[in-house]
Amino acid sequence: MPDILVVATAPLGTLSRSSLELVAGAHAIRGPLGLGVTGLLLGTGPGLATAPQALHEHGVARVLRVDHPLLTVGESDAYLRALEQVARRENPEIILVSADTMGRDLAVRLAWRLGAALVTECSDLASADGAVVASRQVYGGRAVATLAVTRRPAVLSLKPRSLDAPAPDPVAGSVEDLSVELQQGELSSRVREVLREQSDVGLEDAQVVIGGGRGMGGPEGFAQLGELASVLGGAVGASRPPADSGWVPLTWQVGQTGKTIRPALYMAVGISGATQHVAGVSGSRLIVAINRDAEAPIFSVAHLGIVADYKEIVPALVAKIREMRGQ
Amino acid sequence: MNVVVCLKQVVDPELPAKDFAMDPGTQRQVREGRPLVISTYDENALEVALQLKDASGAGVKVLTLGAQAAVGDAIRLALAMGADEAVVVDDALAPERAGAEKARMLAAAIRRMGSVDLILTGCESADWVERVVAPLLAEDLGVACVTFVSRIESRDGAPVVRRMVEDGHHLVEVRLPAVLSITSDESNRPRLPKVKDIMAAKRKPVQTWAPADLVLTATSDPASGVEVRQVVVPERTSRCEFLTGEPPELVEALVQRLRDQKLL
Amino acid sequence: MDPLTPTREIYWNISQAGVVVMYLLAALALFACGHGIYQHFRMWRRGQPADRLRPIWPRLRSVLLHVAAHRRLLTERAPGLYHLALFWGFAFLLAGTVVVLIQADLRLPVMRGTFYLYFQSLTLDLMGLAAAAGVAAALVMRYLVRPPRLRRGILADGVILWLLEAILVTGFLVEGLRIAGTGDPWGRWSPVGHQVSLLAGLLGMGPGAIRGGHAFLWWAHFALSMLFIAYIPRSKLFHLLLAPANVYMRPLADAGSPRLVDFDRAERFGAFAFSEFSWKDLFDLDVCTECGRCSAACPADATGKLLSPMQVVLDLRDEMNRTRGASERVLAGQVVQSEALWGCTTCLACMEACPVFIEHVPKIVEMRRYLAMEEAVVPDLMAEALRSLEARGHPFRGAGISRTAWTEGVEVRSLPRGERGEWLLWVGCAAALNERNHSTLRALVRLLRAAGVDLCILGDEEVCTGDPARAVGNEYLFQTLARQNIETLNRYGVGKIVTVCPHCYNTFKHTYPKMGGQYEVWHHARLLAHLVEEGRIAPSAPVQAAVAFHDPCYLGRHNGEYEAPRRVLRAIPGVRTVEMSRCREGGFCCGAGGGLYWSEDRTGRRINHVRTEQAVQTGAQIVATACPFCMLMIEDGVAALEGGIRPLDVAELLDRSVDRSR
Repeated sequence: MPDILVVATAPLGTLSRSSLELVAGAHAIRGPLGLGVTGLLLGTGPGLATAPQALHEHGVARVLRVDHPLLTVGESDAYLRALEQVARRENPEIILVSADTMGRDLAVRLAWRLGAALVTECSDLASADGAVVASRQVYGGRAVATLAVTRRPAVLSLKPRSLDAPAPDPVAGSVEDLSVELQQGELSSRVREVLREQSDVGLEDAQVVIGGGRGMGGPEGFAQLGELASVLGGAVGASRPPADSGWVPLTWQVGQTGKTIRPALYMAVGISGATQHVAGVSGSRLIVAINRDAEAPIFSVAHLGIVADYKEIVPALVAKIREMRGQ
Repeated sequence: MNVVVCLKQVVDPELPAKDFAMDPGTQRQVREGRPLVISTYDENALEVALQLKDASGAGVKVLTLGAQAAVGDAIRLALAMGADEAVVVDDALAPERAGAEKARMLAAAIRRMGSVDLILTGCESADWVERVVAPLLAEDLGVACVTFVSRIESRDGAPVVRRMVEDGHHLVEVRLPAVLSITSDESNRPRLPKVKDIMAAKRKPVQTWAPADLVLTATSDPASGVEVRQVVVPERTSRCEFLTGEPPELVEALVQRLRDQKLL
Repeated sequence: MDPLTPTREIYWNISQAGVVVMYLLAALALFACGHGIYQHFRMWRRGQPADRLRPIWPRLRSVLLHVAAHRRLLTERAPGLYHLALFWGFAFLLAGTVVVLIQADLRLPVMRGTFYLYFQSLTLDLMGLAAAAGVAAALVMRYLVRPPRLRRGILADGVILWLLEAILVTGFLVEGLRIAGTGDPWGRWSPVGHQVSLLAGLLGMGPGAIRGGHAFLWWAHFALSMLFIAYIPRSKLFHLLLAPANVYMRPLADAGSPRLVDFDRAERFGAFAFSEFSWKDLFDLDVCTECGRCSAACPADATGKLLSPMQVVLDLRDEMNRTRGASERVLAGQVVQSEALWGCTTCLACMEACPVFIEHVPKIVEMRRYLAMEEAVVPDLMAEALRSLEARGHPFRGAGISRTAWTEGVEVRSLPRGERGEWLLWVGCAAALNERNHSTLRALVRLLRAAGVDLCILGDEEVCTGDPARAVGNEYLFQTLARQNIETLNRYGVGKIVTVCPHCYNTFKHTYPKMGGQYEVWHHARLLAHLVEEGRIAPSAPVQAAVAFHDPCYLGRHNGEYEAPRRVLRAIPGVRTVEMSRCREGGFCCGAGGGLYWSEDRTGRRINHVRTEQAVQTGAQIVATACPFCMLMIEDGVAALEGGIRPLDVAELLDRSVDRSR
């Protein structure tokens, strides 16, 4: 049976959450298109041993595995070459790639090399009349475009955290180890150094995110947000101005350019609510906005609004929560 | 070193919501009467190139696709900021073309320029946000590609690029020529032009090429077989409930709500 | 000579040789003084041309007011009074010296009779006493009271006062000993000298001691006086000569604007070197007496920012004098710190406070011009505002509304739609693009329509007047925007303009006419006051509230309009006007001027918070203003302080009083 190839990774020792989201996307279109789903695991290290099991548990029976020492984190060229070789062997109809920092290039370059149709940064997948129908945000989140892919093969990249992870659906499965030809010398780029910026809770996976904007006035304000995040067991994010000004690491940026998040609680503090930012948080279950400016556009997407100076609210909130917990 | 920066002019992404409208014919944003600006990250890309010029005397050329009559402001600004020359591919249809199509034309234009060491683009365009141009350019030109780069720096004397990833940065060594897509950080905030450069910009060379001058060699066309079915502007209805009172009451009320939602 | 004619011998107890030595020393002192002046004159001449000599009469009038009558100095009562005493004291003593010269050198016998007794003896003696008392008070101020505006530890400041006092005291002693030594029958006409002569008697000084003491003190008095003369151009004493000239050459209108740059001619921009300032700007520097009134009035200085306007003047002055005006260092950035330059709100408080009319603000803007146009290095938020001005024609990056959003719910004609009106309402970006100010706009339109004013707007064809770009120092961008507006306005044949924003008003009034844009321009507060007084607007419903008016700097100090908004307030029944500690000429900026609405300087306190506190302290329920920028800043201050005071535009207040009666 022709297949949907899901390109999965396990960089941190377990199957990545965005890989599971790809599985969800594949499940959404497999039935109507009459396609099977094959998982392809690329990488190296211990994660590759356990990850196939995680794919089986989510309804993916057939798993291909490429374990190669050059497939380390960030090595786009190596991944591309490996993926191209597998794709040429397998001839899948549809290839799903996560639009994370590596996958978003992989998808594009793979499509070019395979002569495939390409849709990037999809936020939803569906099917109609035998075609894949992808949705994606355009114009900084002001509009949503729906695109139909009528050609095969097709490569689609899926924006992380746009879909929920699929419910468990265990199947019996198999793992095939594949070998690929990779030479260090033929790679045109190489990661020399990995600079990890610490965050206790991954921003994308946090159930509570406290976001700060230009209204924080400087890096000091973010320390207060950090305290609030820590009592709530969450992470701190930021809109573009603080990241651009160097108040916080670039990796904290949430929005169209930064990360997309879908926490249970998103608290936007001193954030005006530019569409580019809102595009990355609109999937949050509860949005609380704290801003001095009652006219700030953030209030048009928030569920709960507080018009006040954050300095009057945040420390008091931290104290209150601590008090409730008897700390 | 020869650096080419690809710039695109877009409708001001900060346009008031009331003025944002879709043209059902082209499935693109209505441009008429709206201010046009250089797409956000393209300015950062230009800044990175200009920093290379300041540091090592690189030649900086800007390249843009668009109706010649419309792109004047963007080109003038880029030249005033410090680019040495500009090439305009006079293509009135550019705003309606898919990213892949534009990448193919840009690649052809870059090939026509001759020797180029570095090609910089914004990491995404402010309008369609496909993020395809940089990798497609690299494929088409057969050169290396690193995306979401914020700076070009050196480690032990060797140039490396700082690439933004989910949990930090990678310092990546890359073989030239290469295509880099540029994201913003505090090091590449676009500079203001000096007045004497604004004046001098009027005398800098601007070449205009017709699309017919370009030799498109790519055999692959990722945009074919993809059609825009519809573009919907979601209605945004405010559902915000404002808490009122003095700060202690506000905090009290907020805590209550968070408890109701089982978030505490 | 008739012994009954009152007079005195001029060189009693001084030998002929002594007189010759005196003349030689006097010539030397005058040469030293003249040479010193010439050195400065050569530095001033390096500056650009400026026309400050005509018109004569209004200029003489301000000399009368501010030199003779000390009007500005007297805004601080005690220092003003003692300076007045020592000023007039020394003026009379100088006149007395001239009389002596006339008698001694021109051989004209003027020092005699009633004139001698009443003027040369009694008046001069009393004026000398007044001067001595004035100097003593100044010493008390400097060493005991020590107001913060006076810089500490400057040796020369003290030396000058002690020198003056020493000259006066030795003068009295010489006089007293002469009276004692000559047995002057008219001695009682010099009361202080007379007392000294009695003292000499009490001390049992014999004729020999008197003669010896007199000779010594006479030479001491003379030497100190010559030292004083030679010291004038080498110290802040220079202001004795320069201050009256500077008052004469004061800007008669539009004091806050920098000069218009001719971009067809200029090749470099802004004040990087002294030669780029006007000669008047360089002259200004030498006038400063370091009294510190400018910095004491400065909102940036008061809130702990790096800027002190006096320090800017002194940094420039010292560098100019050190390098004779040929400094190699860049003035903007190296001589004066950029951070100080970016702290200025161009509010003119410093210039209004300066007793010698130094023009700080145009110098600061001239230096900003170098930073903004030559270096293109501008603080980040201001840079974003400039970029937005360039791309969007307004400085409010991220404004999510259109220029005409405020017109919802009011009827107003639009020129671009082909509708016309006698008056153009110039809305301005600060009002149009910030929702807080929409109610002001709607109130104003309701009031003007009800008063039968035929009104229209430019809608989307309005672009920023360029005021923020000009204040930040980007004159090029300013002129680009200005030309665009003038072209639009002239194309529509606009004649009368009413502006909401004092910044727009100021630009229309003073700068556009120089660029070919001549319009009759009114600020809305003045038009409302006029209509109220004509009976065309009749406020009737009482607004029971104490209202403090915050003077917008570009309405008040920049354009002298303090009364119109207050007249509007007083016309509203129920309104009780109160004044803040700092109001009118002494008003305190909201913090937004000079492009500082886009400031990210977090040093010290925020100016708008301090201003809001001042409003709250009056106990008023409402703080009224007449500027959309002030409104945004004070609203922000109220939100931060939870001040319990409500900011409203005069138009909003007036509208309440009219509205409810309908």
